[in-house]
Amino acid sequence: MNGLNLKSFGDCFVHVVFSLTGREPLVFLPGPFANEPPNSKAHLKQCEQMTLTRRQKRLCRREPGLAETLRESVRLSLLECRYQFRNERWNCSMDGRGSLLKRGFKETAFLLAVSSAALSHALAKACSSGRMERCTCDDSPGLQHREAWQWGVCGDNLKYSTKFLKKFLGQKRVSKDLRAQIDAHNINVGIRAVKSGLKTTCKCHGVSGSCAVRTCWKQLSPFQDTGHLLKYRYDTAVRVHSVTNSATGETELASPRRHSNTGPRPRPTELVFLEESPSFCRPSRYSPGTAGRQCSKDTSCSSLCCGRGYNTALHLTTLSCHCQVRWCCHVECQTCLREEEVYTCKKH
Amino acid sequence: MVGSSRSLAMNPLLIPEAYIIGGQPLCSQLAGLSKGQKKLCQLYQDHMQFIGEGAKTGIRECQYQFRNRRWNCSTVDNSSVFGRVMQIGSRETAFTYAISAAGVVNAVSRACREGELSSCGCSRAARPKDLPRDWLWGGCGDNLDYGYRFSKEFVDAREREKTFTKGSMESARLLMNLHNNEAGRRIVSDLAHVSCKCHGVSGSCSLKTCWLQLADFRKVGDALKEKYDSAAAMRLNSRGKLVQVHSKFNSPTSNDLVYIDPSPDYCVENKTTGSLGTQGRLCNKTSEGMDGCALMCCGRGYDQYKTQLVERCHCKFHWCCYVKCKHCSRIVDQFVCK
Repeated sequence: MNGLNLKSFGDCFVHVVFSLTGREPLVFLPGPFANEPPNSKAHLKQCEQMTLTRRQKRLCRREPGLAETLRESVRLSLLECRYQFRNERWNCSMDGRGSLLKRGFKETAFLLAVSSAALSHALAKACSSGRMERCTCDDSPGLQHREAWQWGVCGDNLKYSTKFLKKFLGQKRVSKDLRAQIDAHNINVGIRAVKSGLKTTCKCHGVSGSCAVRTCWKQLSPFQDTGHLLKYRYDTAVRVHSVTNSATGETELASPRRHSNTGPRPRPTELVFLEESPSFCRPSRYSPGTAGRQCSKDTSCSSLCCGRGYNTALHLTTLSCHCQVRWCCHVECQTCLREEEVYTCKKH
Repeated sequence: MVGSSRSLAMNPLLIPEAYIIGGQPLCSQLAGLSKGQKKLCQLYQDHMQFIGEGAKTGIRECQYQFRNRRWNCSTVDNSSVFGRVMQIGSRETAFTYAISAAGVVNAVSRACREGELSSCGCSRAARPKDLPRDWLWGGCGDNLDYGYRFSKEFVDAREREKTFTKGSMESARLLMNLHNNEAGRRIVSDLAHVSCKCHGVSGSCSLKTCWLQLADFRKVGDALKEKYDSAAAMRLNSRGKLVQVHSKFNSPTSNDLVYIDPSPDYCVENKTTGSLGTQGRLCNKTSEGMDGCALMCCGRGYDQYKTQLVERCHCKFHWCCYVKCKHCSRIVDQFVCK
């Protein structure tokens, strides 16, 4: 099937996984671009390592910054998916990902949408950060003060990103296969979600800060907002089946309505799925189950643990506390030990 | 709170009922009582009605708390009220033992306060230390102390009269039952609170009388349900005591529930385990929890029916002093598990 092979990305390239409780000690994480040697041929090897089709590999080889951007987008989509589903029974784990992608669940729809959204977000940011050779800042017309980029302002280039993504994912031909149509629809939902987050930001720098002189540029909203929007789309996803359009003779997607057999076409902003998901409570080939998941006693334990109840354990956590700024210019923190109760779901 | 070591089985000469020769046939007719409990029954005839009420309250509360889950505390019409499911030492069994013991405490304490029992009266609990000085302590509070001790004697009598070899499964079950009964009683006494009434000048709170009052039984049910969720899995160690299966988790206190067996599968009907299955249960299509159709029907799917729901509506208050309502019927969708 055309498209990203999400499973291989996740297996190969995620080195650091952190659960986002916000209480971790602050540790400097090396960015994905920090330790790269200035070797222009390194990207060729990276392109070969990833599981791409021949055409995608060719595009990858032509553009040196693309390999890094692909890795960054996988990391971004994994983190966002884990964050948005941290309180749900399916928590976007890598186990069972392969079998999940073969079926047409709501979760598959979300995975495709968030991966494509992450890729388009990462590409646009990479363009504006100068990491790609074939694109730079956003050059769409209608920006006030064309000398904007003289001030060091560079808008995120979503136009190039969308165009490149269409080439990369090969969306020109949409086959009659129902599953392929659904996947294409969901990928578009992801790209549209990123587009809807594109906002014009302005900065006033006239006389004594007045808005007599303004510089405006287009900026993508933080990926967490896009992730939040996609989660909302997941919650309101529509189940579809295939109908043949009597006028054109082509198969289309249609959602079942209550009293009649077919309903209107699903909107381009709605996620679509084929079949109802399993409950993900017990270990199955789609997920490792909810045994051992950490939950919070007042809110999520009752739904996460599927009625099995939870175990309580006392956990010693270290935190940074009593932080002070020392002149100049670093922050010194002490480490405090705190005992807190940790609740994990029972196995049976 | 259990300060007195004096047993409730007091000297029979002090109890007038014991003079009734031959005992009432009522006690021998009551099903489900053990030998020791039958003896206590004959000594405390007038308590039996309240014990029955307490057990019924417990069952009602159990059915309310579990109304949205696969096992809904349903009773069967034979001698053992809950059926064979109670033979497995699961979390649900723990809950039913605890809530029955709590129900007995509740009923007997209330009965004492109401004056229905001759061997006890109003609460003689000591004045709590944190009560402001100018509040009066008195009134007629629920006799928690008596209720606790009586429940302990009566409900635990069944367990105590059995003797098992150390280390056998029956001894594990015995220890578990005793622990859970105690947990139920402790929850009732922990939730008992001081209740006050203002009766100063024109109802002001310049003069206040306070007494000990038992919590509403719904709160007891909620607290026990939380304990059910966090119940601890136990096993017998080599010395014949109950210890936790996974030692890294917190040990259970006397207020927590314990269990020794994993719960059976309540999805399908199984005569050996006593599970009734979830076929025919109502489920909620929009819910994501245990009462949602996905989890309640265990993946079997559900049927949709339209039923007529008759309810009271357009209620009016008439002088004096009754409420008259009309009956409205509307058609609703009901989802039933396959």
